[in-house]
Amino acid sequence: MSIRAEIKYKIMKDYGAPALMALQEFKRRKPRPIPEAFGPPLESNKRLKEILSRHYFLSRYVPGVKKVAWVTSGAPVELLRAFDFYTIYPENHSALIGAKKQGADYCGIAEGSGFSQDLCSYARIDLGHMLSGKTPAGKLPKPDLLFCSNNICQTVLYWYKAIAHELDIPLIHFDAPFVTTEQTEADITYMAQQLQDMIPILERVSQRVFYLDVFEDILKCSMETSQTWGAILDAMKAQPAPMTIFDAFGHLAPIVSLRGFPVAQDYYHILMEEVETRVTQGIGAISDERYRLIWDNIAIWYKVRFLATFFAERKMNFVTATYTNAWAETTGYLDVKDPWTSMAKTYGQIILNNNLKHRLELMKKMIKTYAVDGMVMHSTRSCKPYSVGQFDLRKALTADLDLPAVILDADIADERVWSEQQIHTRLEAFCETLEGSRNA
Amino acid sequence: MIPARSEYLKELAQSGQKIMGVLPALYPRELLWAFDIHTAEIWDPPGEILHANAHLQTTICPIVKRSLEFILKEPDVINAGYLFPHTCDSLQNLGTQVKDLIGVSLPVYTFYNPKGSFNTTTTTYYRDILQNFQSSLETSYGPLDSEKLLTACVLSHKIDSHLITIQHARMTDQLPLSNSEFFKLMRAQEYLLPKDYLSLLEQVDILDQPAKTTGARLLVSGILPPTPEILEFLDELGVSVVADDLLAVSRRIPKFPMDPPTSALDYLTDRFFILPPCSTRGGDLDERLYHLSKLMNESQVQGLLFDIVKFCEPELFDHRLLVKTLRERNIPVLTLETELHNHISGQDKTRIEAFTELLFDMVVT
Repeated sequence: MSIRAEIKYKIMKDYGAPALMALQEFKRRKPRPIPEAFGPPLESNKRLKEILSRHYFLSRYVPGVKKVAWVTSGAPVELLRAFDFYTIYPENHSALIGAKKQGADYCGIAEGSGFSQDLCSYARIDLGHMLSGKTPAGKLPKPDLLFCSNNICQTVLYWYKAIAHELDIPLIHFDAPFVTTEQTEADITYMAQQLQDMIPILERVSQRVFYLDVFEDILKCSMETSQTWGAILDAMKAQPAPMTIFDAFGHLAPIVSLRGFPVAQDYYHILMEEVETRVTQGIGAISDERYRLIWDNIAIWYKVRFLATFFAERKMNFVTATYTNAWAETTGYLDVKDPWTSMAKTYGQIILNNNLKHRLELMKKMIKTYAVDGMVMHSTRSCKPYSVGQFDLRKALTADLDLPAVILDADIADERVWSEQQIHTRLEAFCETLEGSRNA
Repeated sequence: MIPARSEYLKELAQSGQKIMGVLPALYPRELLWAFDIHTAEIWDPPGEILHANAHLQTTICPIVKRSLEFILKEPDVINAGYLFPHTCDSLQNLGTQVKDLIGVSLPVYTFYNPKGSFNTTTTTYYRDILQNFQSSLETSYGPLDSEKLLTACVLSHKIDSHLITIQHARMTDQLPLSNSEFFKLMRAQEYLLPKDYLSLLEQVDILDQPAKTTGARLLVSGILPPTPEILEFLDELGVSVVADDLLAVSRRIPKFPMDPPTSALDYLTDRFFILPPCSTRGGDLDERLYHLSKLMNESQVQGLLFDIVKFCEPELFDHRLLVKTLRERNIPVLTLETELHNHISGQDKTRIEAFTELLFDMVVT
């Protein structure tokens, strides 16, 4: 570690970051007008932006102070926290670029260098960033380590292998066997052992020693954060729901990328408090919630605002999503007293690593408990584990629950895939069906 | 003479043979043989895709679509169920989609293949997976006869040994077979009974001395061999495919000869871990590059043909680096994208011709 880099990092942490936050606050003095269809915006948005901006801002000064790891969203990051890695989430970064409608530019860079257009757009954006150094976040530190788990898809393994080779850095892969019926003892033992096998590698890369008690504290913090996130999502059962799922897509960022840190834990307490107050006072995320919807799959990042407005204007609110639920669903398995086995259970059974029968039952439960009237499924080109099977899930759900549903063919972050006319037609037809079913 | 797939399987089924439909790619066939279950692999069944389109998006690979189309027809030749080895995201989900949502009258089995870099933890786990798979088969077919399993492993070992010899003979011009004939022979293992396949391999004529050849030499990489029409076209052009890095072919044959099995579980475990590197197992890219370079050197090829199945993520991610590295070494590379139709577009024909001209130039120099 360099003393100079450490001093610079400390100055930026204590003075630079607060100054940046103040500047951002100054710039935001004139907030954008809120369309009538929406209720008052969440106050917590401000804090969310602060946390995320600070995280990306400080990452510029971290080389030479802490080791940097690029991590996948489903990887058991708590273990890395015990070695004080500064973690960057390429999926989050790609979503950010997608939301800024710059996905196609970054995908183009990767495609120009030989990556196929048929690959996941999160991966193409990240590879485009890696090859060009471009980022709307200013600058991102190069990783010392890559950490991925195929519990969200096999794609991340292929993608991280490509980065590991390009940058000549170590890759740690956490192999999570797909749950076809239920996890076996062998699956759990295998995953638990892999986690323990990682310790010497992490000690070598980070040049730090592993302390079980430190790790347990991190795990506890992570567990409580996930539980609070789950409670926030539960609060959306209220009618009207205090926030929309499009809000939740944004508020998801800390649970994905800062899980295991007190800052994320504190943040969700603030959000929880605000959401509870709104429920008590009957404040809805949209001004007149008549219909309640469920969203399936990852967000269409470049069309979040469009979709939020489109539905809010029709008095329709997304109150739950399989995607946002993913970081709360399996938290119940975490047990600080039995960290390895419980992490194997938690990370091995998340929705994308679980069979479609499980997903069907989960969705049925969500539809019932959140009093859902209709379903929008995003069939995304980028994510095969999320999308393969959706046609039959839709069929099963509409048949069993008599639920109007629509499938949107799009992509998570490559805006070139969006077909305005086709989507509009499908959405209008869906809304008509939904309104018709209510009238009937 | 290699019997045609559908007629052969039909006759087997009519004779009362238990036949399991197996999707790509890696699975312990010996365990199934020990239960007297024959494995008929489903990679690229012919015919139009009609019903599968109602279940799968347009951006799903043709292997997955064709497999589902085949399953939806509930063919009589498959009577013991379906096995979905864990190969990629799409096949992973197809397994649960067929089992849990679409529903078929036959049992559906799955088999997880560990991913990434391997160590003793992976080896231990693989042994557990084998035992769990054995238990799931025992639920339907009764207790396993361990002698039968060892016999199956011995048979498998003999087949592997012949395949290694044949592949080597192919590289050294000691195998007088055209491209089409060679890959027909390789793919016959997908549906022939192991004893029939072994007998076929035993009949293969291997020359004592390398034949004198003047044509260009090529290595193919991808999931499946090029379609018969492409192989015939390469034959016409005088280009020999002398080595391959195909999932359906050499990536399922051990890298080097193994000792004859004495313990079935040890043999099956060892066999899995000495298979060549493969994109679907998530292995290290350097290892794959090293393996390809070694193959190219040993087979003295002038160029490499990537025949990539459309939308195949595991292959597409590795492809960019492999092509880049080979081009840096001045090795001619051609990439074709296939949807598994047995016809070559005019454009692809021209590209193949131009590519082979380049290979012939290198033969001359």
